Amino acid sequence: MRKTTRRDIFKFAAGSAAGLVFTPAPWRLITDTALWSENWPGIPRPARGQTRTRFTHCALCSAGCAVRARCVNDQPVSLSGLAGSPLCAFGLAGHQLPYHTGRVKTGAIEEALAAIAQRRSHDAVAVLDLRPGRTASWTYRRAMAALPRGFYLAAQSAIPAVNLDQVRTLLSFGAPVLDGWGTPSTVLAARSHFRLIQAEPLESHTAMLADLWLPLRKGSEQALALGIAHVLMQEQNAGASFPAEATAYSPARTAQLTGLPEAQIVSVARELAPGGALVLASQEWPEILQLNRLLGSVAHTIVGRRETPVPASWKKAAPVTAIEAVPDGSIGVLLIDESVCDGYLPWNAIEPKLAPAPLVVTFASSRAGYGRYARFTLPTAVYPEMTDDIPPALDSAAATFRLATPLVAAPAGAVEPARFIAQLAGLPPADALRERTDAIQSSGRGVLRTYADGKSIPVKGVKPDDFWKVLNEGGCWVDAPDPVEPPASACQSSSAAVVAMTWEMRLARGPMSPLLSKLYEESNLRVRL
Amino acid sequence: MTGKRYGMSIDIDRCTGCGACMVACAVENNVPPAPEGATDRKGITWMRVFPVDNGRDGPDRKSVFVPMLCQQCGQDAPCVSVCPQQAVQVDPATGIVGQMPERCLGCRYCMAACPYHARYFNWWDPAWPAGMEKTLNPNVAPRMRGVVEKCNFCHGRWHAAKERAVGRGAREIDPADYVPACVEACPTAAIRFGDLNDPRSPVAQAAQQSGSFRLLEKLGTEPKIYYHSAREWVREIGRAPAGKEQVHG
Repeated sequence: MRKTTRRDIFKFAAGSAAGLVFTPAPWRLITDTALWSENWPGIPRPARGQTRTRFTHCALCSAGCAVRARCVNDQPVSLSGLAGSPLCAFGLAGHQLPYHTGRVKTGAIEEALAAIAQRRSHDAVAVLDLRPGRTASWTYRRAMAALPRGFYLAAQSAIPAVNLDQVRTLLSFGAPVLDGWGTPSTVLAARSHFRLIQAEPLESHTAMLADLWLPLRKGSEQALALGIAHVLMQEQNAGASFPAEATAYSPARTAQLTGLPEAQIVSVARELAPGGALVLASQEWPEILQLNRLLGSVAHTIVGRRETPVPASWKKAAPVTAIEAVPDGSIGVLLIDESVCDGYLPWNAIEPKLAPAPLVVTFASSRAGYGRYARFTLPTAVYPEMTDDIPPALDSAAATFRLATPLVAAPAGAVEPARFIAQLAGLPPADALRERTDAIQSSGRGVLRTYADGKSIPVKGVKPDDFWKVLNEGGCWVDAPDPVEPPASACQSSSAAVVAMTWEMRLARGPMSPLLSKLYEESNLRVRL
Repeated sequence: MTGKRYGMSIDIDRCTGCGACMVACAVENNVPPAPEGATDRKGITWMRVFPVDNGRDGPDRKSVFVPMLCQQCGQDAPCVSVCPQQAVQVDPATGIVGQMPERCLGCRYCMAACPYHARYFNWWDPAWPAGMEKTLNPNVAPRMRGVVEKCNFCHGRWHAAKERAVGRGAREIDPADYVPACVEACPTAAIRFGDLNDPRSPVAQAAQQSGSFRLLEKLGTEPKIYYHSAREWVREIGRAPAGKEQVHG
């Protein structure tokens, strides 16, 4: 027998290696390795299961857009708008909010209750509502009426509506008209009918898309408003209601203050004069409301809106108290519902109203807002875990009632602010949303819209249980047109309607989907304030 | 082979820069949020909206938003020819430039070759905050660290549409069944999608419209993304004549 040499071993090894290449083994190995690396433990595996569609409303802002949720095993995996009613970037990622790393998940609820009970007997209690007009807002008002010294504070006072269909020229002082203000579908549908003039020091998204951008000096917005009023008063001889100080703002002086050409100030005023004008701002400046009055916008482009019906027994609720009307140093317990947010009161306006060593309790999903001033931050459900109604949108001339129904369950320990405060005030336990829904149904007004089949049914023909069921399945109640024109005073109660929060302001007050890093960190599309 | 050539038309004059397309794309395709340390160079944005201006100041300054994504070049796509792994292929049935992460070895030649900077490298393992992985789209597998990825016209949706067509016993996909996420999310309908080979499709008609242009057309990459603007300065930026600094993002 021939002796096996070292050369034979090498030849065998080389032959085997060469032969292996012609077998499926290495290729199979490569594929398996690739598949393994794609599915190794570090890579999350999306859950599979039955897919179904559910409808609700987005509760991130008062636009309350209709939402179609694609759910896998009852877990929403994507949200989209409906035809003709798109969602914004924030709404599209809303289903990821419950998993935000900065979310408040636990809170000292019992300690907070004990501390409030200790203080409420001898101190005034106030509730600050950051989204007034909800059913929860009515609960707060009823609760404050039940307490001996209760105040109901709202971030926005009586809110009239804006009728964009009537607007021909829109002058915006830094309001994000095309970037988060109003209902996206309504604003975009009306956009071709109005000329947009954006007065803003920086080139914002709205400034980029405006028909005319007025890059005025920072802080000179009120001067420009007065300068425009001056031109209108001179040319139309109509401005008796405008403050006398407007007379001091000649185009030449306004040009000096704002840095805008004199001729441009005059031409903007002339553009606004013929009617159909609306003036918006990003802050509550009295000059803006006065300018709207001067232009005849009130009761034309700024309109009143009927109230969504409420049960008769709720009418004995505490009134909305303006923060200025609250005596200094009087509030011992301040409860802030930050679970939803459409506006805010600056802390320096609240602080003087607080008694020494105040007890501030905030209901929030994050400590980013008032949480930094609060002794207790109690966790709440976030959209889309919460059950809440959404007040009519700013740009809806008709009253509406829509529910944000939960797509996922809220975590254990989440507090319902309305229930908490109702309990505190000793209100009888009741399902306030159902009570209000019944009141709307019994009013017989308006129509019920269903998104799943795109139908509108008159409310008169709908039974209370069916009405409630449809609303919980993503339906929407829309009021009938008001046969009686609301008085002009209904539109003049406040300049709140013309103030708009930017997305960045909202973002600074609560968690947003981690995926919004696409807009803020991973691209230069937006800059975080 | 159906002979389809899927493409998009993007009307820049209608784009409001809201970013809905970017977010919808990331949700649909399981693109993770930026990890700590990600920058606008290292983040993954299959669809990215760039603010672009005409380079002037004062009243003459004009700006637009330009959504950028893989331009789905023709048969001779630069990324296809440089890939040593054949991880990038143009699907002859759809014209979609596909990226196969299982084959990708992460050499990033394709990123260097792409004139549109529309490809992204996974510098990190895909990670979502605890619990958020429950929201992942089951139709799309997350990609691992070390591979390149890019827009594939929501291929998961194409597969789903194909399944529906098969279920109906049809050979062709119903165009209404296959709409990429960015197209669906665009609030102004600035982005449209369809078969460029079908002269009746809105996207094919938009491609022939006056004011329509493709990015860096002179390179001959035959992109299937058609942009449109009535403004000459915007079209000029798209053409990017040599020797001029054009984009001021």
